[in-house]
Amino acid sequence: MTPGLLALIVLALACGGFFLGRFRALQLVGKDLRLLHSLPGYYGQTVALFTAVPALALMAAWLLAQPVVIDSRISAMIPAADLPQGSSRNLVMADVRRIAGGIDLMLADGSLTEADLRDMRADFSDIRSRMADVGVALGANVQPSVFEAAKDWRALTGFGRLALTALTLAASLGGFAFAILRIRPEFRARNVSETFLRWLLIAASLVAIGTTIGIVLSLVFQTVHFFQLYPFRDFFFSLSWNPKFGGGSDLSIWPLVWGTLYVSFIALAVAVPVGLFAAIYLAEYASKQVRSIAKPLLEVLAGIPTIVYGLFALITVGPLLRDWVAQPLGLGSSSSSVMTAGLVMGVMIIPFVSSLSDDIINAVPQSLRDGSFAMGATHSETVKQVILPAALPGIVGAVLLAASRAIGETMIVVLGAGAAAKLSMNPFEAMTTVTVKIVSQLTGDTEFASPETLVAFALGLTLFIFTLVLNVLALVIVRKYREQYE
Amino acid sequence: MNNMRLTERAVTTDVTKFTARKVQVYYGASHAIKDVDIDILDKTVTAFIGPSGCGKSTFLRCLNRMNDTIDICRVEGAIQLDGEDIYDKKVDPVQLRARVGMVFQKPNPFPKSIYDNVAYGPKIHGLVRNKTELDEVVESALRKAALWNEVKDRLAAPGTGLSGGQQQRLCIARAVATSPEVLLMDEPCSALDPIATAQVEELIDELRSNFSVVIVTHSMQQAARVSQRTAFFHLGNLVEFGETGQIFTNPRDPRTESYITGRIG
Amino acid sequence: MTMVETSAPRSLYTADARTKARNAAEKRFRIYGITAVVIGLLALVVLLSSVLGSGLGAFRQTVLSLPITLDAKALDPKGNRDPAEMAKATTVTYAKLITKALEAVVIEQNLAPEMSTKNIGALISKEAPAGLRDMVLADPDLLGTTITYDVLASGRVDGFFKGRVTMESAALDSNITPEQLQLAEKLRDAGLLKLAFNTGFLTNPDASELRPESAGLGVAILGSIYMMVLVLCLALPIGVAASIYLEEFAPKNRFTDLIEVNVANLAAVPSIVYGILGLAAFINFAGMPQSSPLVGALVLTLMTLPRIIIPTRAALNAVPPSIREAALGVGASKTQTIFHHVLPLAVPGILTGAIIGLAQALGETAPLLLIGMVAFVKDYPGAPPEGILDPASAIPVQIYNWTQRADPAFVERASGAIIVLLVFLLVMNSLAVILRRKFERRW
Repeated sequence: MTPGLLALIVLALACGGFFLGRFRALQLVGKDLRLLHSLPGYYGQTVALFTAVPALALMAAWLLAQPVVIDSRISAMIPAADLPQGSSRNLVMADVRRIAGGIDLMLADGSLTEADLRDMRADFSDIRSRMADVGVALGANVQPSVFEAAKDWRALTGFGRLALTALTLAASLGGFAFAILRIRPEFRARNVSETFLRWLLIAASLVAIGTTIGIVLSLVFQTVHFFQLYPFRDFFFSLSWNPKFGGGSDLSIWPLVWGTLYVSFIALAVAVPVGLFAAIYLAEYASKQVRSIAKPLLEVLAGIPTIVYGLFALITVGPLLRDWVAQPLGLGSSSSSVMTAGLVMGVMIIPFVSSLSDDIINAVPQSLRDGSFAMGATHSETVKQVILPAALPGIVGAVLLAASRAIGETMIVVLGAGAAAKLSMNPFEAMTTVTVKIVSQLTGDTEFASPETLVAFALGLTLFIFTLVLNVLALVIVRKYREQYE
Repeated sequence: MNNMRLTERAVTTDVTKFTARKVQVYYGASHAIKDVDIDILDKTVTAFIGPSGCGKSTFLRCLNRMNDTIDICRVEGAIQLDGEDIYDKKVDPVQLRARVGMVFQKPNPFPKSIYDNVAYGPKIHGLVRNKTELDEVVESALRKAALWNEVKDRLAAPGTGLSGGQQQRLCIARAVATSPEVLLMDEPCSALDPIATAQVEELIDELRSNFSVVIVTHSMQQAARVSQRTAFFHLGNLVEFGETGQIFTNPRDPRTESYITGRIG
Repeated sequence: MTMVETSAPRSLYTADARTKARNAAEKRFRIYGITAVVIGLLALVVLLSSVLGSGLGAFRQTVLSLPITLDAKALDPKGNRDPAEMAKATTVTYAKLITKALEAVVIEQNLAPEMSTKNIGALISKEAPAGLRDMVLADPDLLGTTITYDVLASGRVDGFFKGRVTMESAALDSNITPEQLQLAEKLRDAGLLKLAFNTGFLTNPDASELRPESAGLGVAILGSIYMMVLVLCLALPIGVAASIYLEEFAPKNRFTDLIEVNVANLAAVPSIVYGILGLAAFINFAGMPQSSPLVGALVLTLMTLPRIIIPTRAALNAVPPSIREAALGVGASKTQTIFHHVLPLAVPGILTGAIIGLAQALGETAPLLLIGMVAFVKDYPGAPPEGILDPASAIPVQIYNWTQRADPAFVERASGAIIVLLVFLLVMNSLAVILRRKFERRW
């Protein structure tokens, strides 16, 4: 039974449970509602909740755990000697799964029976060509141990499926029976189902915590793995980034950090003045009509997907800067450059600065403005000497958030900044960033367990810590600021 | 009304600072001030009294054009300061407000140090040539506001850290520092406790020797205590205007009488 | 103690020098502000017009309307109209038919007397025979008849009519010659070649590097729709449940504070970090299939959750406490109060937030690259529910894919795809605005 179908059955049971529970509650009191502790719907609800929730939770946990358990057992069956040269356990495991899939296909089209399969041995029959017949292409002849592993994998998976179905149904029916039998007129069904519901709500809010834990665990785990393969010292105390396929790569983080900071700096140099002045104008000077048009239009800039900005950098801004600025000045001939990415990213984060600053400027109490005007200050003097100092913490928070956004931005730099890791001051040269390298190291063809791939996790961890610090700092500052004027 | 000091103090000068004629104020479609004629004298405390929403604050804000900051507000008629129409096109409200200071209902010190709060006006108007002069102006303003002794040791502390009464006196010092000719006060004591109120009232009386003071107040006792002349506003009209003593003891208009005796308000 | 005396007679009618300077500074400051707003708006205009300018071409495609005789002998040698038998006639056979038809027209109208069959055939897209073959296999009765069929022209011919390819560039190009382009112009003058609306762009799957003319967004749109539906089904209930707990039930303690800071931080974590999480947790650890909409949807759900929780909490918070007190006052339980009164009142705000969160997820690219969606996918994913495990693409990833290819025709496709993406976003955001306008309530 497929998990989807199983889930549907459980939901159907829950649905039936609701009506049955309701019916039973009503029946127990002879349809006299007043004798029930809770409304009849709540009796139904307890049954539905007890039927569906534990069963579905069990199912989800099983589905997550099953491949891990089976893979670790099967992969232990294949002796290290049987691993082909230049291959890894992961690749062989992929073969195992494909062979198992092929066996299923052969069974399905009748070219193989279960009995044949039991006797089939990789060293006697030509598995590879028979697999090819059913459309499963294998790179090399199949080792006997691998084929045995595939058979076992198939058997275990089949067993797992069966066990999953049985356990889920058992949990569902068990919950159903438990809840139905509990129904008495004096049973506090509302309290029970509300408590149950509250736990569900708590579980939902724990997803957020779970996500953070998941991020940290997956980053830290693989980063530790990376530092087992690549010396810590070279990552932090060298200045060259030069990954090679065959190993012996230089993987220092500094050229990437430099590129990231350079691009972010240019982006902020564009976005902070423009965003701040735009916010001041819209909050302090603009008439209602201008504000009601310009503000949403500026915010559109924040709603446009970053891939659009990336393409804009690639096809418009990059060539423009190269032909009109970089080449005439003799500063370079690359259309992807720190300047290209920085400018476009600057445009993207204008609304992050302007929206938040606008909110913050509006939160400055009117009485301060009145006080300043009454002293005979001009509007700009009021803004510069009273409003901005008062709003400063909030604006700093907005800029920090914008900086975090700039540092973590990916698509604009992938398409606009280039891929060459350099430590250069020339803004018209192509440079690269942490995010670009995460993408290129993880979408390339290198083997997963190599330092060249795993370095992406170390880069990801660096990025996460960087942005975490900026975000939390910004949050704390903005929150303090809000409290001040509430 | 035992605690009312119904002063019989003579009005000390006859120099008119503000002359208002046929002033109308509109908020969008609503007619907030109707046909107000009033003369405000120099070196005198003039109190505006009246029930809530009668237009007294609105009229006060006309005197230094603070209503300019409200888009839908429109002022008609003539208001002259020393014979010059303050709503003339040539008049820059910035210059006007340097001469007509204002203190608000709620103390609103800037989130800066005490010193910077007071120095703000002299700095933006360029009234001083150097730091020494600025120090002198700040000290004199704080003394005039009767705050110097309390804050002279902590001029660098934030103005927002003072108590409510101190904050309001700081705001008065701030307004006084530009040496204005007129000081407008919009219910300056309504956010203060009785002790702080007494201090500020005493201060207002002292300020009279240097400035013309116009005060809007909810409290008739306060008007009686601090002012020499009182104007009673009702529903946007200036009902009665005259010597404070006369208004409180012998009102001519029945509406004034009703208000003073507590029948309307 | 000296009170500083200001310059003698102070008339209000004459502005002194200092006031003039101050007013000039005021004017300058105002101009800075206007400039900043104009820069922002200008950037928006340039951005959109640049994309529209280069992308609109993708919606029109050069086709050749040719009368094609479907030779029954060549296509169904056994003559029994059995689709299984007919399938043995490959695209090569069909290509010959199309080329023959084009050549016949060229000879009949004497457009290019000296050109060889092979050179004439190069005007036709390599993808065109497959379309014709599918059509015939679907309807064997067409065999033997002569039909007028719109044949896709090759990418270079298409580029010529859109101004991407010129006679000069053709002279240097191994895929096309100026003579062929002249023939194409004559064909256009003869009314056989035209630019038609490109439905294939919205329905076709991606095509190989050499066949930009037939590359479409079909798989990507389907993949995006699968993911959005899944994200909505997962993120909305979880997000609303979490918000209800945090806003209504959670005690004010350090743990709740931690969750709050955590949610706010998650909303600002770079999206690529979610991609790393997806790769490590869902693909490597849980063994889910790469480039499947399911994994994409899970990653996007985790990313969207905080972006739904924040506006949902704001919407719940905006419901005045008096409503809660009224319900509690008549003896409703806390849960009943929330589900019967507070939540319904907050629905417009919640939906608006959810739609905006979903729109962000729709445009997200980076995390999907990491979970393998960048792979070339030519087959449509199957129908749900199993289809969510098939490899698929997504619109933004498809755009990225196209930008990585050498032929400039793909830039046009990428820009066209952006237009499609922006239309989707526009629809979603308008929906959010309408919801907000229609149901917004101020207390």
